[in-house]
Amino acid sequence: MTDPTQITRILFQDFDPKAIYLFYAFGYLAIAIFIHGCYVQVRKYRRGKPDESWNQIFKRFWDMVKTMASHRTLVRRDKKAGRAHGLIFFGFVLLFIGTATITLEYDILEPLFGVRFWYGNFYLLFSLVLDVAGFAVIAGLLYMMYRRKWMHLPKLDYKRVDRQIGDPDYDRSGYRREDWAFLWSFILIGVTGFILEATRLVWLSETPSVWDHRFWSPVGAILAHMMTGLGMTAEGAGAFRPYLWWFHGLLSLTFIACIPYTKIKHIFTAAASLMFKSPLVGRRLPIIPVEQANAGYKTITDLTWKNLLHLDACTKCGRCQEACPANAVGAPLSPRDVILSLREFANKTLNAKDLPAEAELDIHGKSPGQVMQETLWSCRTCLACVEICPVAVEHVPIIVQMRRNLVEAGEMEPILEKTLQTIHKTGNSFGESKRKRAAWAKDLPFEIKDARAEPVDILWFVGDYASFDPRNQKVTRSFAKLLNKAGINFGLLFEAEMNAGNDIRRVGEEGLYEHLATSNIGTLQSCDFKSIVTTDPHSFNTIRNEYPDFGGEFEINHYTTLVKQLIESGQITLKKKLDYRVTFHDPCHLGRYNKGYDAPRDVIKLLGCELVEMGRNRDNSFCCGAGGGRIWIPDPVGIEKPSANRMREAGQIEGLDVFIVSCPKDLTMFEDALKTSGFEGQFVVRELIELIDECIEYDVVDITGVAEVISTSE
Amino acid sequence: MKILVAVKQTAALEEDFEIRDDGLDVDEDFMMYDLNEWDDFSLEEAMKIKESSDTEVEVVVVSVGPDRVDESLRKCLAKGADRAVRVWDDAAEGSDAIVVGRILTEVIKKEAPDMVFAGVQSSDQAYASTGISVASYLNWPHAAVVADLQYKPGDNKAVIRRELEGGMLQEVEINCPAVLTIQLGINKPRYASLRGIKQAATKPIEEVSLADIGLSANDVGAAQSMSRVRRMYIPEKGRATMIEGTISEQAAKIIQIINEFKGA
Repeated sequence: MTDPTQITRILFQDFDPKAIYLFYAFGYLAIAIFIHGCYVQVRKYRRGKPDESWNQIFKRFWDMVKTMASHRTLVRRDKKAGRAHGLIFFGFVLLFIGTATITLEYDILEPLFGVRFWYGNFYLLFSLVLDVAGFAVIAGLLYMMYRRKWMHLPKLDYKRVDRQIGDPDYDRSGYRREDWAFLWSFILIGVTGFILEATRLVWLSETPSVWDHRFWSPVGAILAHMMTGLGMTAEGAGAFRPYLWWFHGLLSLTFIACIPYTKIKHIFTAAASLMFKSPLVGRRLPIIPVEQANAGYKTITDLTWKNLLHLDACTKCGRCQEACPANAVGAPLSPRDVILSLREFANKTLNAKDLPAEAELDIHGKSPGQVMQETLWSCRTCLACVEICPVAVEHVPIIVQMRRNLVEAGEMEPILEKTLQTIHKTGNSFGESKRKRAAWAKDLPFEIKDARAEPVDILWFVGDYASFDPRNQKVTRSFAKLLNKAGINFGLLFEAEMNAGNDIRRVGEEGLYEHLATSNIGTLQSCDFKSIVTTDPHSFNTIRNEYPDFGGEFEINHYTTLVKQLIESGQITLKKKLDYRVTFHDPCHLGRYNKGYDAPRDVIKLLGCELVEMGRNRDNSFCCGAGGGRIWIPDPVGIEKPSANRMREAGQIEGLDVFIVSCPKDLTMFEDALKTSGFEGQFVVRELIELIDECIEYDVVDITGVAEVISTSE
Repeated sequence: MKILVAVKQTAALEEDFEIRDDGLDVDEDFMMYDLNEWDDFSLEEAMKIKESSDTEVEVVVVSVGPDRVDESLRKCLAKGADRAVRVWDDAAEGSDAIVVGRILTEVIKKEAPDMVFAGVQSSDQAYASTGISVASYLNWPHAAVVADLQYKPGDNKAVIRRELEGGMLQEVEINCPAVLTIQLGINKPRYASLRGIKQAATKPIEEVSLADIGLSANDVGAAQSMSRVRRMYIPEKGRATMIEGTISEQAAKIIQIINEFKGA
C-alpha cells in the first residue's frame, strides 16, 4: 500500500527554481494587468451618475446566485445554447475552485502552517471532478463553435440595421474576431491541459503512486494510453512536457490578464448586472431629480453607473434583437446595437485618465457609438428585450431617458409634438373636451355614479381609448353593463379623469407625465373608494407601478382579474358556453409588464372557448406596435407593421374564430391590421369583454357580438 | 438690442358650446385657452435672431390680458424669451384690436425695442389689425404677412418677403425699427416641454397697470373702441347636398328637389 501522502501531484516537479521564479513573475504580471483593467473599468462606472440599487444587497446577491446556479435566464428560448453555456460555466467554476484549492495549500497553508490536505483520496476525487469539469468546458465550447460556424443564426449576425453598408461600424466584424479568439483560446487551454495531464502520466508511468491511480483522471488516462500506443516513451514525454507546460501556463495567464479588457469580463459584469437589476425595470421609469436642470440623457456621463455596468454585461447573444417588434419589421432598431453603441462610446470616452470635453460626450447622432433619433423613436417600450436578456440589461429605461432629451430639444415627429400639446391642453389624446369623457355612458339604461360625489367600492379609471374611441366605447358600455349586472357599487371620475400618462412617460415627456399623474392622484385621493379597476393595461401599469413615486398608493386591478372573481364567485352567471376556437394576445402592459398572464386565459376557458396559443405568447408576446407613444406616430409606409406581423402569426392557426385582446389599443391596432393584412373574413378581433357579454343575459337582449359576424363571414 | 414680441392668448371652442347670457360672446366655460398660433412663429423668429447673434439680444414678450394669460407667457419664457410683460385692468375688457394696439404702443415706448413682431392675426378674432395699429401709433414702418425675414441685430434695414394672394411673394426692404406681422410657416416653432414651462415659472412676469404706462381707464375698453360687438350668434345651418350621378340623373334630382320645395 502506498503512503496516501504520496498520492498527489508534485507541483513544478523537476523544475529549475529559476523557472519557478519566472513563472511566478509572469503570474504577478498577469494579476497586475488584470487589476489595472478592473481599476479602469470601475473608474469608468464611477464616472456615471449615482443610483440607489445598493439596497437589499444580500437579497440581491442571493437572487443573483440562484439565477446563475439555475441558468434560468440562459436556457430560456434557447435551451441548447443555455445548456452548453452551463457546461462551460460550471466546468469553469469547478476548475477555478480546483486551482484555488491548490493555491490555498501550496502558497498559503503549507508554507505558513505546514498544513497539507491535497493528497490521498481527496486528491483522487479532486482529479476526477476536475477531469469531468474540463471535459464539460471543452464539450460546451465545441457546441458553441459549431453554433457560431454552422447554425447561421440571424441573432449572431452583428450587421447593423441602423447603419449603412460602408459605415465604419456597420458590420462589427471586430466582435466576430473577438468571439473566435475567445473560443479558441479557451478551448486551447482546456485541450492543452488534458494533454499535459496525459504527458505527465506517461512521463511518470514508472511511478506507482501516479500510474496506479491514473483512471481517477479518466480523460488524461485515455489520452496517455493513446500516446503510449502511438509510441511515446516516458523519456519522450518528460522532454516534451516543459514546452507544453509553459504554453498552457502562459496561455492561461494571458487569459486571466485579458479578462477586464475583452468579452471575458462578462464573468464579472454579467453577474453584477444580474445583481443590480431593478425589480420594476421599465414598469416604473426613473423620476427626474428636482435639482436636475435637463431631462434625460444627453451625454454618456448622464448615464448612471448601473447603466454603464449593464452596457458591459451584454454578451451580444441577440435574444433582445430576436424579440424586438421594431426589429422584426425592419425598423432601424436593435436593442443590442443600442447597448453596444453606448458601450463602445463609453469605452472610447471614459476609459482614459482624463474625461474629454463635454461636447465629445454627446451620445445622440450618427457617428460611431452614437444612437440615432430614428432608432430611439422606433422603440415601442414593450419590454420584450428587457424580459429576455439573460444578464438583466435594462434597455428600455436608457432609451426613454435618451428620448427625454430629444423631447426637451423638440426633436420628434411634428405629429407627436401636436399630440403632446393636445394632451396638455385637453387632458386626453383625442383632443376632446373634458366634458365628453363619459359621453359613452349616455345611452346606458342606468346611471353611473360620480365617484367624486359619493363613496363607491370600485372606482373605474376608464382611460382615453376606452372613453373616446367609438369602437372601444362599445366595449366600455358592455363592461359598464357587466359591472351593473354584478351589482357592483362603482363610479367614474367623469371629466376629472385625465390621460393616466403611461405612454406620455414612455415617449419621454416627463413634465407632462408629472402634470397628468399628480392631477389624477389629487383627484383619486379626494374620492372614497376601495380599489380601482381599469380595462386599459397602460393606465393599469402606471397607476399601479408609477403613481406611488408621486404619492399615489392605490389598489388597482385589470378587469380580467375582477371578472374572473365575479364569475367564480357567482356574481356573474354565464348563460351559455361559447364554442369558438380562439387565441389570446397578451397585452405588453398586462402580460410582460405586470405578469397578468393567467386571469384572461382562465376567463376564456370559463367561457368555454378552445384556446390555441400562438407561438409567441405570454412573456414572449409580440407587441401590437402601439406602445411607447407609437400609437400617435404613423408607422412608415412600405414596411410591415408589427400588428400585421402578429396577424400573420394568428392566421396560421387553423380554424381560428376569434383573436382575443384585452386592451383598447390592441383592439384598434388589430382590427385595423386584420383588414390590411388580408385575414378579414377568416377570423375576427374581439375584446374579451365582448365575448363575456355574449354569455350574459341582460334584461334587454343585445344582439351584437361575434356570433353574428362569424356567421356572416363563413 | 431688443426685440419685442406682442402675443395674445386666444380661445378655442369646445365642440358643444353656449353663448353667454348677454349674447356678446361665448360662455367662458367652453373656451380652451392657448397661445395664438401665429405668435409661436413670431416668437420663434425672434429667438432665431437672438440665437444666431454675436451680440446680446433681449427678447421681451408682451400681452394684454387677465391673469390666465400668464400661462401662455410662461410658455414663451419656456421657449427662451428673456422677459414677459402683461398689461391689464378690468376696464380694458371689451377693448378692440385698435385699443389693444394703443396699450401695446405705450409699453413699446417704455421698452424702446429695435424691432416689434406680432402675429398676422389671432386665431379667435382674426382682425389682423393689432400689429398694424401699433405701427400706426408708433409711426414706424410696417410690413404685414411676413413669410421670410433677413435681419441681423444692428442693421438699419431688413429684407423681408411678404405673402400676397395667389402664391405671390413680394420682396421688400424696410427701414428699422419696424413692426412686422409674421405669417405661419416662416419657421418651425420649437416645442416647449412641460418641464421647461414649469422651470419658467420661476422667471417673473412683470405686471403692468394702465397707470404705469400713462393710460387710464378712460382710454380703454369698449367705450374707447372704434368697433363694438352687438351680438354673437350661430348662423342657421344652410342645406347643401352634393348631387351625384349622370347629367340626366342630376337633372332629375334637381327637379325633384324643386318640386319638394314647392310643396308638390
